[in-house]
Amino acid sequence: MMKNGFYLRLALDGMRKNRRLYLPYLLTCAGMVMMFYILSSLANSPLMQTMHGGDTMKMTLNLGTIVIAIFALLFLFYTNSFLARRRNKEFGLYNILGMNKRNLSRILLWETLISALFAIAGGLAGGLLFAKLAEMFLLHMAGEKVGYALRVEPGGILMAIAFFALIFALMLTVSLARMRLSKPLDMLKSESAGEKPPKANWLFALAGVILLGAAYYLALSIREPLTALALFFVAVLMVIAATYLLFIAGSVVLCRILQKNKGYYYRPEHFVSVSSMAFRMKRNGAGLASICILATMVLVMLSSTSCLYFGGEDALRGQCPYDMELDAAFDRPSDCTAESLDRLCRLAHDASGGQESGLVSFTTLEVSGYFDGGVLDINSIVRAVDMSSPVSLLEKLRSVEVFPLSDYNRLMGTELSLEPGEAMLWSSDGKYPWDSLTVKGSRTVHIRDTLSTLPVRISTSSTLVTVYCLFVPDWEDYASDVTAYAAGIGADRSDAVCSQSCAFDLPGMDEDEQISVRQALIDAIDGHKDGNSALTSFSIGSRALYRSDFFSAYGSLFFLGIILSIVFIAAAALIIYYKQLSEGYEDQRRFDIMQKVGMTKDEIRRTVNSQVLTVFFAPLLMAGLHLAFAFPFVQKLVRLWGVMNTPLLIATSVICYLAFALFYVFVYRGTARAYYSIVSGGDAR
Amino acid sequence: MSILEVHDLKKVYTSCFGTQKVEALRRVSFSVEQGEYVAVMGESGSGKTTLLNLLAALDRPTSGSVLLDGVDTSALPEKDVAAFRRDQLGFVFQDFNLLDTFTIEDNIYLPLVLAGKSHAEMEKRLTPLARELGISELLKKYPYEISGGQKQRAAVARALITEPKLLLADEPTGALDSRSTDELLGLFAQVNGRGQTIVMVTHSVKAASHATRVLFIRDGEVYHQLYRGRDTNEQLYQKISDTLTVLATGGDR
Repeated sequence: MMKNGFYLRLALDGMRKNRRLYLPYLLTCAGMVMMFYILSSLANSPLMQTMHGGDTMKMTLNLGTIVIAIFALLFLFYTNSFLARRRNKEFGLYNILGMNKRNLSRILLWETLISALFAIAGGLAGGLLFAKLAEMFLLHMAGEKVGYALRVEPGGILMAIAFFALIFALMLTVSLARMRLSKPLDMLKSESAGEKPPKANWLFALAGVILLGAAYYLALSIREPLTALALFFVAVLMVIAATYLLFIAGSVVLCRILQKNKGYYYRPEHFVSVSSMAFRMKRNGAGLASICILATMVLVMLSSTSCLYFGGEDALRGQCPYDMELDAAFDRPSDCTAESLDRLCRLAHDASGGQESGLVSFTTLEVSGYFDGGVLDINSIVRAVDMSSPVSLLEKLRSVEVFPLSDYNRLMGTELSLEPGEAMLWSSDGKYPWDSLTVKGSRTVHIRDTLSTLPVRISTSSTLVTVYCLFVPDWEDYASDVTAYAAGIGADRSDAVCSQSCAFDLPGMDEDEQISVRQALIDAIDGHKDGNSALTSFSIGSRALYRSDFFSAYGSLFFLGIILSIVFIAAAALIIYYKQLSEGYEDQRRFDIMQKVGMTKDEIRRTVNSQVLTVFFAPLLMAGLHLAFAFPFVQKLVRLWGVMNTPLLIATSVICYLAFALFYVFVYRGTARAYYSIVSGGDAR
Repeated sequence: MSILEVHDLKKVYTSCFGTQKVEALRRVSFSVEQGEYVAVMGESGSGKTTLLNLLAALDRPTSGSVLLDGVDTSALPEKDVAAFRRDQLGFVFQDFNLLDTFTIEDNIYLPLVLAGKSHAEMEKRLTPLARELGISELLKKYPYEISGGQKQRAAVARALITEPKLLLADEPTGALDSRSTDELLGLFAQVNGRGQTIVMVTHSVKAASHATRVLFIRDGEVYHQLYRGRDTNEQLYQKISDTLTVLATGGDR
């Protein structure tokens, strides 16, 4: 009976001999554990309960933890199967030398234990070390004050240990099962098992082209942000499927087409490249497609989250166009009097201690519904508004704000007048091709004129949905009719709202002061309400207050984008590295033959170089193409989050792509060195 | 006239740190006439492969020279050597050395493609050659789909398609069964019959017995040579066997 120490030594020995393969694998494992711990410990941190916007942040971080967990599972299985192929050769030899499968299982067990121990211990050590740094970074991005106390999150540690122990146990089970099924001679040969020439699968290649074309068309044809949200995942799945099909089948088909063109194919610079490319792609297509998809995910994630983060202030100003806005909702249009509007303004003036500036006040009726050909249908929206509505309906959603013409004249200092039944209109998308606007079942107004500017800044968060602002001369009558109609069909009060607003800036006040102004307003209105039963509800928007909400959301998204990008990039780098190694071993022999047939070392190096370059830069180019076509999508998604700054998104996309390309080149050059040392015979294994 | 002249060839291998020197070849001189079929025989380690590598300019001699058609290959710069090898020499190896990513046809075309020939020209050369070697049916197949003997015939086609001055063969029958061996040797004789010069390194007596002349190498020197004269293959076979027996029992000249 041999001691366990013997198997332990064999396992350690095997790993040491193959350290070129194992070391990057172990480091990646440890990296995944580390990121997992960092995210889960941040999500469970007590800070999330105390800080403003902590809920959003906690949700975002938890989502990130789940993404990392799923990704780790898939990716570690992939790398493990790659390692298994190399390991089988060694096991085959042991088997022939007289070890039975029980003995081999023990080596495998030890190997898994060592890997798991290294990965989990190393990952947690790194996690504990970097968690504080990550926390400080996150809080800084969210605009919070940063403390320096170091904290250990036992829940996160336990979760990381349990989850990754489970992954390793699963991988061990799979490896053991695979070993049980294999024969020793197969094990010895498993790496060089006979290779058939790749068949050109026209059907798959065609399907890939069509899918990609459809996905790109989808991306380009969508105009409404809500539609983009609904179709984004469909498009993502289509692009993923198309990428795999194109890299696996399409590339081989392309090589075959090139081979058919004899004038092109039988040239020294194409002959060897094209034919061995077909083989290369057959083996590496899936890996390259994975790299491409990882790269695209990283690019989309980083460009959009950084755009949100850096464009956050714009979004905030769009959503809160004034430092403070006091809205009061009324049940009856007749309650919206000039006196009540004055009262609001006086309240605002008193609460801000006379420091308000640029104060505007106005009365509105807001209705929304599906809009078609100049007719707004409130009834339809009462029945069905949710994300599962058909996409075509979402695109028809419109919001109409009706102002008294007198407010326009007062604010603009004009003397315009209109007949009853006439109106002036402003559209948030700049166009309104119809000559009247009808609220179905109620009023119709004739559009006398369209306006290019508004007297007030309206909140652009609602530009997800196109907004029409209507100025009518007989507001009270109009509003009474519409609200009566809305009440008649059982609409919620929020479907046709009369309100009066008073908005102003508070220059020269810092955020804390602004927040205390808001508190003063609340107190004042609470005192006031008893004397005015008509003031049923009010809301006070303070930009200072929203700011921390915004930045805890955008900051945590950006943070998550960075963390996930690091993980994905590390994974892509590892795939590239393994590709280079396995290619190197395969090319070694070919290199030798070509030399004997009369190619110079230089020629061979050039051929191989151009192949390797093509193979490794194809995913980068494809990812760039994906990113370019995803741009309209991403643009609409960040619009959903309130950021409308297209030049900023272009800038972040381009910067992210360039940074990624630079990084990719570094990885390529690093791994190419390993490749050449193998090919030139420095490492004959 | 001599197509190949080898003068005083010497090759010394030095270990990594220069501590140990191994003399693989010393003082080898011989010449090969246009249209000759020369077999080089010797035991493992006698320097056969070293000699072949030097003839092919895959390696450089320590001293001495190899003149192919009057050109000193050992003096050619590295960038010209490959082109020279491609245009003037054809190779047949023991393990075929076909590229598994190419069809048989493309494998045969490889040297022509490297030489920049047009596809029409390549086809014109391949058609009669393929018929002669009996591989016309195999051209569209991949190496993994055909037998060893067929692979070797394809390799011969690849070697001959450049119409080389000299065909070099390194143990061409080493990996073949006896029937394929016979076929291949028949082919070599046939190719030689139409004027192709062949130098074949082998330790198979049977293979050597098809040659017009046999050189014996021992310990890095040409030890003996036999001319066919008017002998049949069987008679030459007997003479070679006798010579090898003498060599093996260590008899001095």
